[in-house]
Amino acid sequence: MKTFEEKWTAWLDDQLSGRELSQFEASLPDKAAAEAEKTESKKLGELLKRELSAHPLANEEFFSHQLRERIMQETSEPAGRGTSETASYKWWTVPRLLLAGTASLAVFAIFTVAVMHEKNPAQESQYLTQILNTRVDPVVSPNATVSIFEVKQDRVTVLWTEGLQSLPADYAAK
Amino acid sequence: MIQTEATLPQPDVSELDLVKRCQAGDTEAFDELVIRYRTRVFGMIYNMVHSEQDAWDLAQDSFLKAWKSIGRFRGQSSFYTWIYRIVMNVTIDWLRKKQVKGGGTEFDDAIQLTQIDPASKTVPKTQPLPHKAMERDEVRTRIEKAIAQLSPEHRAVILMKEIDDMQYHEIAEAVGCSIGTVMSRLFYARKKLQNLLRDVYENV
Repeated sequence: MKTFEEKWTAWLDDQLSGRELSQFEASLPDKAAAEAEKTESKKLGELLKRELSAHPLANEEFFSHQLRERIMQETSEPAGRGTSETASYKWWTVPRLLLAGTASLAVFAIFTVAVMHEKNPAQESQYLTQILNTRVDPVVSPNATVSIFEVKQDRVTVLWTEGLQSLPADYAAK
Repeated sequence: MIQTEATLPQPDVSELDLVKRCQAGDTEAFDELVIRYRTRVFGMIYNMVHSEQDAWDLAQDSFLKAWKSIGRFRGQSSFYTWIYRIVMNVTIDWLRKKQVKGGGTEFDDAIQLTQIDPASKTVPKTQPLPHKAMERDEVRTRIEKAIAQLSPEHRAVILMKEIDDMQYHEIAEAVGCSIGTVMSRLFYARKKLQNLLRDVYENV
């Protein structure tokens, strides 16, 4: 199904014929106005053709010469560009791959060591012992011993102390 | 029945020979094709952009692009239609970019008539303006200003139709749209130009 614009354009350009032409002309509400517009359209076409068609290309030979030069550049460049591209391809892949791999391994190793260091149970116990050492004065209670029993699955920690002569002055059970 | 739906015209044999030689890397054959079409291509682009320098550069770019992609030409249409498609893509892209850079909402690039880019590759043509040609020059300026108000797609179809006498299917192929779209664009382009140039074509 053609739109009105398509039919109108075809009619202006005398591209309608037969039944399609008669049908379209019969559908026009004002055929005289349409004919006038068709004449205007022809005048517009003639004006455009007369005024715009003859715009010469100055320096035609120079145009072709310049184009030849550019084509020569384009056809000679790929060979040179190819080798440099291949070289850069090699340079950018193998060393970069090695570098990236090494860097990744290094980062991974640092990260793993840091995490393992953080999660070391001995460190946790040491931390507790340090606290206890500050609580138990070795001069006052030289035979005091402190033991820790920890069951991680049950989240239970038992602190067993023996040989305390007295509780530290700053001890406060919470 | 619309006559434009006829079968596509077969490309010229000698032109096909030139294309085949181009596809084999023969730059002289391409040079021959350039000689055949450079004036028409330049004229079409000039009417689109209204600047000799820009038209020169865009025509150069279009032919260079054609050379690079000549291997993809299958001969299903004429070489002229094929290169026009490249020309239209290059020119419409350029007009769109220029419009974006300019930040304008309308396509009015008539100002280019007075602006010459000193860095342009083109050698400016210096022609004295004869006094008796002044009136015609004014008419031409009016037309160019009117065309500048059309969108690049509308410019393309009206110029190909009115200046180059191309058929709807050829324009559709060159612009890359349907025949219906071409006819619709022609409708609106003509309406706009009639409104803008009525006094010109009625009085000239």
